[in-house]
Amino acid sequence: MAARTVSVDAQRPPQRVRARRQGLFVQAGLIVLAALWLIPVVWTLSISFRPENSIQANLSLMLPLPFTLENYEFVFSSSRLLRWFVNSLFVAVVRTILQMALCSLAAYAFARMRFPGRRFLFPFVLIGLMVPGQATFIPVYLLFSNLRLLNTFAALILPGVASSFAVFLLVQFFRNIPIELEEAALLDGASRLAVYLRIFLPLSTPVLTTLAIFTFLGTWNEFLWPLVAATDPDIMTITIGLRNLTATVDRIEFGQTMAAAWAAGLPIVFFFLIFQRRIISGIQLSSGIN
Amino acid sequence: MQSALKPGAAQRLANSLSQRKWRDAGIAYLFILPFLLLYILFTFLPILQGFWISLHKWDVIGSNVRFIGLRNYQILLQDKLFWSSLEHTAFFALLAGPGLIVVGLALALLLNRPIRGIGIYRTLFYMPNILSVTVVGLVFARVFAPADRGLVNVVLDSAGGQPHSWLLDVALAMPTIAVTKIWWSAGFNMLIFLAGLQDIPQELYEAGRVDGANRWVLFRHITLPGLRRPMLFVLVLQVIASVQVFPLIEVLTQGGPAGSTRPLVMYLFERTFEYWQMGYGSALAFVLFAFLFVISIAQIWFFNRREED
Repeated sequence: MAARTVSVDAQRPPQRVRARRQGLFVQAGLIVLAALWLIPVVWTLSISFRPENSIQANLSLMLPLPFTLENYEFVFSSSRLLRWFVNSLFVAVVRTILQMALCSLAAYAFARMRFPGRRFLFPFVLIGLMVPGQATFIPVYLLFSNLRLLNTFAALILPGVASSFAVFLLVQFFRNIPIELEEAALLDGASRLAVYLRIFLPLSTPVLTTLAIFTFLGTWNEFLWPLVAATDPDIMTITIGLRNLTATVDRIEFGQTMAAAWAAGLPIVFFFLIFQRRIISGIQLSSGIN
Repeated sequence: MQSALKPGAAQRLANSLSQRKWRDAGIAYLFILPFLLLYILFTFLPILQGFWISLHKWDVIGSNVRFIGLRNYQILLQDKLFWSSLEHTAFFALLAGPGLIVVGLALALLLNRPIRGIGIYRTLFYMPNILSVTVVGLVFARVFAPADRGLVNVVLDSAGGQPHSWLLDVALAMPTIAVTKIWWSAGFNMLIFLAGLQDIPQELYEAGRVDGANRWVLFRHITLPGLRRPMLFVLVLQVIASVQVFPLIEVLTQGGPAGSTRPLVMYLFERTFEYWQMGYGSALAFVLFAFLFVISIAQIWFFNRREED
């Protein structure tokens, strides 16, 4: 036994050296990949801070030199970028709040109350999990068109509020809240609404926050529906406005295009950095693995 | 206990219990109603309406609306542009899908160990995901711009290579879109795989090493089987996302050059909102819905079966 161990050690470098060599290999691989992921961002971000003639002279420069803010000034003064930003913020915030309120209220009833038709209604709601937006947007468009409500915030906000996924997730969560808490409150004469507001909502703050972050991001980045629902530049969201800005204005320079892109992109990057822990754990939870 | 109560009292108790039950049911309906109204209005009815519209010649221009039964579906089967849009959708899925899984898995494997700065790497690789499709489109339209106006060509040129018109070249446009998609979304798969890797018990690897297994054998016989569930999850999400692909292509090539990258949803969009043929557009939408419905059912069936095992 002892002799065998010695001979193995003689042939291979010690474990620690091997581990360190492997670690260096991994680090090198990661740095190369990180560069590939960073370069498009650093390059275009630098461009957004450079004057146009300097960009033409040295396209691949990765530094914002010479530094200027004129591209951003141009973009903000000559387009409705700021307006679109506020529109997006309003649409995303209102839709998120409405969705949290309506879906959690319905989820509480589905999870904890008995009523005739529940066994039919819950599966009926879950059908929505399998319906993509592309399958419904033509009739929804015709509905808003007939009501003369295209190009309104109502059109942008309302269709995304009733989320089957949110109800499904919250029902799962509510079912795991101990029944004793609820029974004690009900025996003390608390109303159902009070139980929902004072027990269920506070206990589910973490899952509600995660859900709210994803609804907000999803609404902010939504493409197909706002593309057809709001063609008026005063109502547009930034995701669509930005596309139209660069698709319709031919005389927009490279630096200005990138300033517009990052004026829209950077706030969301900061939003992500603030909430990244919740976003990452939310995604990992969604796969049902951990 | 029961006998201690007078018959009348028991009756009253029962009455008040059932009253309470009915009041509770009423409250439950009130709680569900606001959600249900919006759900029926914007999700459930539109599915039925969509099918109904698809049975019509429904042209907005000239308000020409006429019932034609399944005619739209017959036309669709003969429509070359429909079949080519399906082909482009499948081509995109075949190019981007494997790339997203391989790159996502590679990133997860590299990050599944104690390294300095691991949080920064994870943040960096995931971050493109939260950018809107328009921002990604504007950035990569420039990265892959033709001649000497794009970063890739400038780098290629300085390395002595030939410049290409990436997004304007029929042979290169879709692969270029797929590369952009991988940059944008591989980080999502990385997160799913990382969670999966952390669920594989370390003892398995130790046992394997004691048995003299090399790294490839450990990967093949412990890591890959251990990642079965996340792999399936990622695969299903990706198939669903690929069938729906549209915004990224819209911002990068608008379906060009010469319609060679036009996917199904873009075709449906053009028919509906450029030609204003709501009936035909709805038939296309219903076909798309049918695809996704079958995938969802298969997924639910498969995951339930796995849990019963």
